[in-house]
Amino acid sequence: MKWLDKYKVIHPKLEKETDYPHWAISLTSTLLNRTGTWRIFRPLYQDQIPPCNNECPTNEKIQGYCDLVKQAKFAEAYKLILEDNPFPAITGRVCYHPCENSCNRKDYDDAIAIHCVERFIGDWGLKNVALAKPKVKNKKTVAIVGSGPAGMAAAYYLGLEGYQVTIFEKQTKLGGMLRYGIPAYRLPKAVLDTELKKLIKLGMKSKTKCAVGKDITIDYLRKNYDYVIICHGAHKNRPLGVPNDKAKGVISGLEFLSQINSGKKPKIGKKVAVIGGGNTAIDAARSCLRLGLKPMILYRRTRLEMPAVPDEVDACEAEGIRIEFLVAPVKVLATKKGKVTGIELMRMKLGKPDASGRRRPVPVARSNFKIKLNAIITAIGEQVDLSILTPDIQKTEWGVKVDRLGKTNITNVYAIGDCVTGPKTVVEALGAGKRTAFQIIGATEKIISKTDKPVKFTDLNLDYFEHQDKTKIPEISVAARKKNFKEVHTGYNKEMVLKESERCFSCGVCNKCDNCFVLCPDLSVIKDNGEYEFDYDYCKGCGVCAHECPRNAITMIEESKVEEQ
Amino acid sequence: MRWTIKEKELMYPGHVACPGCGGALAMRLALKALGEKTIVVLPACCWTIIDGPFPMHSLHVPVLHTAFETAAIAATGVKAGLDVRGKKDITVMAWAGDGGTLDIGIQALSGAAERNDDIIYTCYDNEAYMNTGIQRSSATPKGAWTTTTPQQTPKLEPKKNITEIMIAHRIPYVATATLAYPEDLINKYKKAQSIKGTKFLHVYAPCPTGWKMAPDLMIKICRLAVESNIFPIYECENGINYTVNIQPQKKLPVFEYLKLQGRFSHLTQKDIDEIQKSVDFERQLLLKRAAKS
Amino acid sequence: MKKVITGNHAVSYGAQLARTQVISAYPITPQTQVVELLSEFCASGKLKAKFIKVESEHSAMTACIAASLTGVRTFTATSAHGLALMHEMLHWAAGARTPVVMANINRAMGPGWSVWTDQNDSLSQRDTGWIQLYCESNQEVLDTTIQAFKIAEKLLLPVMVILDAFVLSHTSEQVDLPEQSVVDQFLPRFELKTKLDLSHPSAYGGLTNPDHYFEIRYKIQKAHEQALAVIKSVNDEFNELFGRKYGVIEAYRCDDAKVILVTSGTITSTARVVIDTMREQGRKVGLLKQKLFRPTPTEQLREVLFKAQKIAVIDRNISFGHSGVFAQEIKSSLYGLAGAPPVFDYIIGLGGRDVTPDAIYEIIDNTFKTDVPNEPIIWRGVRL
Repeated sequence: MKWLDKYKVIHPKLEKETDYPHWAISLTSTLLNRTGTWRIFRPLYQDQIPPCNNECPTNEKIQGYCDLVKQAKFAEAYKLILEDNPFPAITGRVCYHPCENSCNRKDYDDAIAIHCVERFIGDWGLKNVALAKPKVKNKKTVAIVGSGPAGMAAAYYLGLEGYQVTIFEKQTKLGGMLRYGIPAYRLPKAVLDTELKKLIKLGMKSKTKCAVGKDITIDYLRKNYDYVIICHGAHKNRPLGVPNDKAKGVISGLEFLSQINSGKKPKIGKKVAVIGGGNTAIDAARSCLRLGLKPMILYRRTRLEMPAVPDEVDACEAEGIRIEFLVAPVKVLATKKGKVTGIELMRMKLGKPDASGRRRPVPVARSNFKIKLNAIITAIGEQVDLSILTPDIQKTEWGVKVDRLGKTNITNVYAIGDCVTGPKTVVEALGAGKRTAFQIIGATEKIISKTDKPVKFTDLNLDYFEHQDKTKIPEISVAARKKNFKEVHTGYNKEMVLKESERCFSCGVCNKCDNCFVLCPDLSVIKDNGEYEFDYDYCKGCGVCAHECPRNAITMIEESKVEEQ
Repeated sequence: MRWTIKEKELMYPGHVACPGCGGALAMRLALKALGEKTIVVLPACCWTIIDGPFPMHSLHVPVLHTAFETAAIAATGVKAGLDVRGKKDITVMAWAGDGGTLDIGIQALSGAAERNDDIIYTCYDNEAYMNTGIQRSSATPKGAWTTTTPQQTPKLEPKKNITEIMIAHRIPYVATATLAYPEDLINKYKKAQSIKGTKFLHVYAPCPTGWKMAPDLMIKICRLAVESNIFPIYECENGINYTVNIQPQKKLPVFEYLKLQGRFSHLTQKDIDEIQKSVDFERQLLLKRAAKS
Repeated sequence: MKKVITGNHAVSYGAQLARTQVISAYPITPQTQVVELLSEFCASGKLKAKFIKVESEHSAMTACIAASLTGVRTFTATSAHGLALMHEMLHWAAGARTPVVMANINRAMGPGWSVWTDQNDSLSQRDTGWIQLYCESNQEVLDTTIQAFKIAEKLLLPVMVILDAFVLSHTSEQVDLPEQSVVDQFLPRFELKTKLDLSHPSAYGGLTNPDHYFEIRYKIQKAHEQALAVIKSVNDEFNELFGRKYGVIEAYRCDDAKVILVTSGTITSTARVVIDTMREQGRKVGLLKQKLFRPTPTEQLREVLFKAQKIAVIDRNISFGHSGVFAQEIKSSLYGLAGAPPVFDYIIGLGGRDVTPDAIYEIIDNTFKTDVPNEPIIWRGVRL
């Protein structure tokens, strides 16, 4: 019928109705009526950067894997982590999780225990997911100097692309700081060894007991390899700088930990003072306890300024280690033969903030006092050994000079990790390794910069979240930790990890909660294979979807500005 | 939180509700609950327009448009006809606005309820005659602006309590629901569908246009209405057994609800205090009833 | 089967024999016995119908409309104020093209309260789109009720069967009740192609803008125009089966009549006697009974009335500010015909005042004696 031509007849049951009806009986649907023309603002699905992802030095897609874990998709979660971090079983244990400090949930009840989720997935992957093989063949060769986390990450991502990687390691085993710096109660050697198998599967060659700078030169590597990556870390001890600081019984924290981690029992006296407030100090003190010694920590500022991770400081105190704050060494007391008998300290108070923003310790006059000791462990920072570099490589005050992606001034020579930054974290080293590998591979699109606009707590619609305490992190009792190096944290089980990941707000990233779909009055959110799409033919732009998105993953923009987008 | 709401739609886009219309969403959700074996009866109300002009129609189910005051009896008539034809498995739902329910349609509604006719009656309540351009109805709350209760003399009388009026009919099922709690709403429709007799659902359905409110706040205002106890979510079976379905987590002051709507912008602190007082009183009354049953 | 029953019960039997499926009604004097007997029929199972006992006539009509749209046969009955209350839905019934059948017992409108007969209630509903059939006897009431369903269902238009309060509604007469099987043969099950059910998920009666409203109104008028032929064929069919027939009008001794009296309802029976008397006196007078009021049987009226010299119309109604309604219709039907006879409009019997044979005689006599009406309306029996 002519009169009906301009309407799209869509009621299948009414197709045979062709006559003009005898009264107002409808024959078609409102699909003809494109209400989208009413719209002034349009909604867009636009994922924002969650603060956890943003803060992660290796750009792990934390929200992404938490979401997969919620759905018990562990294999997918594992693969997603591996895109940015090859060794989640390691970082899940040792990373100081800046992600958790930025987690928006901390302003609601308590941050997600992201590292516990990561650790579960890391362990699950090691057990259940086959090791990756190189995706392609590649004749390019790469020499990596140092097998710590920076070198390991670079080796992994280069290996995946088929690069011929050779790693040079001064020590007898691979792992750098992971093996020799971190005590086994935090990172069992077996976990490290299993993670390292990934590199072997990728065909990486290694030359251990080969000290670059001594046994082989950077120049040699530059001549014989297409690319050289320097990542030998920061291992040089910084002396105390007080009289007698080289007395017998004074040992550097790293050296002390290295001995333990090599299976040796350091021969030091029973009453030990660890000087410093960083993670090495805490590791050293807690290791002492496990060797049956009586450690204490001396730190010149207060707990608030301690660079060590608060959880570790808590654990340290829980294990009964006393931390003496606001004291600084004046002199190491020693016998005439140069054997440590104690230390002379002076009281400090906090003055004005220094360059690091922390309040500077200022000596309190006439406050000196002495304590008796058998040994002193120094953990006041490590330095980079720059002597192995060739003179033409530019340096900074504390390390190798590089650009944002690890390039030195010499073509195809890169430097990453602690040797660039001074002592930093495992995850920062991993991130640097990854980024440099991507740079060499040419996958620069995968190199993500930090945004200054991550999703803020106030961007969320909290009506959709219920309060839920953080899932308690299981650990062995303090008593069970004495005189052994058993891992303290025992990790989440499946039930716990599901519960904890469920707490994730999924800030800024659509996790298919269906709010936009369910609450749209105009049926303009189309669900297709689990994906959402706005139907702009009909969406009137009311903005209910954007307002009710719990996670700020929908943005409203003015129609007139759509082109600019 | 993930919804367990089915995806199948029984409504088309292209309907002509204002942006952010609570009534449109309410229909969409109600039909998801009731399914396609449903016939809807629409008296004069916003939905007369929303459904679309002839020859268009925005629902996948048959709709009978009828006169303003006849929603309940038209539904009864349809149900009777279907029963006679042996089609007993079809749900007939009357879907009327607050004017069509509390004012002009209350007689037919009361009649249907007294006879316990086997229909679902929905009052989608946007608290005024919105379709005609925001005139006061007996569902308009005290203190609200409408075009017939201008700011100088806002509505002086409290809202008629239609839910309690219907409960007093001792029909098998009376419930309130709103859009911020879509699962509750859907469950209530499913429950209503499973019960024989007259079922009355009072659905609080915001009208951003008439409430002088940003349309994107449509769901939020529903939530605030519940959390501030302005619109309690409860049900009552057989006129006796009360259940409060949603217990507000925090006792939100009514101000938080009122302040988002231009229709209340003229209220003084004294007015707000009075509203708070009456809301508190009603809340206690409801809790007492719920406790007794 | 012959039975002595009231006019109201004749309505009830008609609805029962038609196998009405949904009834909805509200009581009003003088209609109550219609629904009382139907209630008994439903209770005893003699009629398998759903009877919705509503809280108002407005709802009664609405229920019938809604049920009718699902494809079932519906019936209601009312009177006067009840009909007036239905007014909105009378429009709706016709606009929705529902074949609702209703009996209206002609009763005067208040105030002051009157329960007695006149036609103002039904004639006030002239423009609602309903077919209106006025009855003279209880047999005609029964037969018209049965026919009304067939007419309504063929045209998809509502039909009002009208009888006078008390004079017919409460008066017992012998009525031949037809066999159910023959009625079934005459009136098959109602089938509606566009019925409101799941197989037809349309909107019925939604917003209709100026692009379409006009065409739909046009279709209602076209249906009314078809009605005359349909009523005639239904009537013929009825006659074949039952041996009784009623035209849309009935001309009684009109062939050579100089004056033709036009009546409707029970006044016709009285007038028949008066006509016979006057014929015996040698006066050339005829009677035209107008049974069908809407649609107007213009051609049929013209054919009979044009031959007369004068026409006297008895109106038991008054359209205030104008004249009697039947007279208006007759005038309008004859308008434009050269040499059309003058129309005398007699208003009589409002609010149930008796219309006696003497009064009718006087009306005819007066018409004979007067060349042209001296006044547009001629009141009979006003005692001021």
